[in-house]
Amino acid sequence: MQSKFLVQYEKREVRNAYAFLTPILIVIFLFILFPVIGTLWKSFYQDTSFLPFEFVGFRNYAQILSDTKFWSALVFTLLFALATVVLEAVFGLIFALLLNESFKGRGIMRAVILIPWAIPTIVSAQIWRLMYDYTYGIINHLLTSLGFIADKVSWMGTTSSAFWALVISDVWKTTPFVVIILLAGLQAIPQDIYKQARVDGAKMFKRFRSITLPLVAPVLLIALIFRTIDAIRIFDLVYVLTGGAPGGTTETLSFIGYNYFTGDIFGMGSAISVITFIVSFMITILYIKLGRFEKNIK
Amino acid sequence: MREKNIKSILIFAGVLFLLAFALSPFIWMMIISLSDRPDFLGNAEVDYIFTLKNYVEILTSRRLHFMDYFKNSLFISIIVSVAVSVIASFAGYAVSRLRFPGRIAVPLFVLAMSMFPQISIVGYLYTIFADLGLLNTYIALILPYIAWTVPIALWINMSYFAQIPVDLDKAALVDGASRTKTLFKVILPIALPGIFSSFLLVFIACFNEFLFAMMLTTDHIAQTIPVGIALFRGTHGEIPWGNMMAASAIASVPLVILTLIFQKYIVQGLSAGSVKG
Repeated sequence: MQSKFLVQYEKREVRNAYAFLTPILIVIFLFILFPVIGTLWKSFYQDTSFLPFEFVGFRNYAQILSDTKFWSALVFTLLFALATVVLEAVFGLIFALLLNESFKGRGIMRAVILIPWAIPTIVSAQIWRLMYDYTYGIINHLLTSLGFIADKVSWMGTTSSAFWALVISDVWKTTPFVVIILLAGLQAIPQDIYKQARVDGAKMFKRFRSITLPLVAPVLLIALIFRTIDAIRIFDLVYVLTGGAPGGTTETLSFIGYNYFTGDIFGMGSAISVITFIVSFMITILYIKLGRFEKNIK
Repeated sequence: MREKNIKSILIFAGVLFLLAFALSPFIWMMIISLSDRPDFLGNAEVDYIFTLKNYVEILTSRRLHFMDYFKNSLFISIIVSVAVSVIASFAGYAVSRLRFPGRIAVPLFVLAMSMFPQISIVGYLYTIFADLGLLNTYIALILPYIAWTVPIALWINMSYFAQIPVDLDKAALVDGASRTKTLFKVILPIALPGIFSSFLLVFIACFNEFLFAMMLTTDHIAQTIPVGIALFRGTHGEIPWGNMMAASAIASVPLVILTLIFQKYIVQGLSAGSVKG
């Protein structure tokens, strides 16, 4: 009698669970999985106005892989991800260490660091665009009046200065995210370890190197994975700040994909989107291998 | 003693650096938005004149449609955050409380789905919504936004639900409450801070989103603030920096205030899972 009741109860629990999960699974199937499969499917087709919609096998991929524009965009995107993630790790660590100390006004500082994070990316891109502006920009004004440069510089005029302009804007906007994650990691370190180290006579920098850094490393890695994945799909900043200029040399993978889509070349756009996904997936795997997550989980 | 001195110098320098880092671009935006002309620097003939005209123009000009963008952004973001909170609460409850086949697989699947870059979704979404005649409507943004933000909300909710003792559910269930009732009467009131922090993160994410909005909408009927600001054009071809910075300030100041007031929830939401996981 009782076991029959139990079986019924368990059945009802399972039914409940699936009912509770139905909405989330439906939206994810319809608006993520289905479009992703659609993109994969379209990447093997010729899909553009005035030409027949037909299966072309790997032609879109072959065309992209033989295009120097793609390779330069790939390199540019990876360099952008590398530069931003390294700088964000450095600044993020500095600010997190600072905000983990106790001093007057710490609460306000913890709020202030969130301001760049709260500003929409497009807005921050426009602010930086104004600051880099040749005529009106405060950066040219400061550098010339302080005597660092003799003449105004067209920051979007060369690939390398446009690259750093993008990197600086992105670092400004997203460092707060790294700070918050790292701060949570720092707060999880037991204070007793530091007390013991002080008793043993370990100096400040020694304590940082042999206690703080190793203990916060796993959290830093997680923050950097999130940041790398985000940096590889960068689009909005490029769209506003450089628009791909000069001469398309600051185009990123997402930017190329977007241009194909708006240029009504959906097959090619789909193929490059698939490649973007594969690149970001491979980098995640690489990180997880490097971080030896299996070991950390134990 | 010496270490203490070094430390306080470092802290002082760090605070100055942090203030300069976080605030200068924001302050510069405010200064230009309140200036008569954007070129008062380095131009001896132009003085800085304080004015509100940039804001007045932005808020009253019918041609710029700025209030439309703002209204669209607000409406879409609120609908999505509410929907995501409900969907992710049910899902979070099932994953953290009920025993069923796939208990581990479902959250991992949902997280994996959030790994796809937006660009690999948006092209086909465009095709779907074009076929359905839904381009340039709220629905074309609301539905993808829900799917795009629900994974993070689920993970935040899970980490909060997991901290609530299971005995509370059991007590309610013994009293004859259904699972749905348990969720709403027992769990949600306790987990409200967690739900609220995922609500805030989802709201801000939707308010800021650009690529979907850019592809799936075409004019002020459904375009959101980021698109409006990205496509901002002056009447004479030159960039109206004063107006643009005023628009930027209007778009970001509410978010900044929201973030400063609810700092605690946002920090908890952002760091949920990443530290324990």
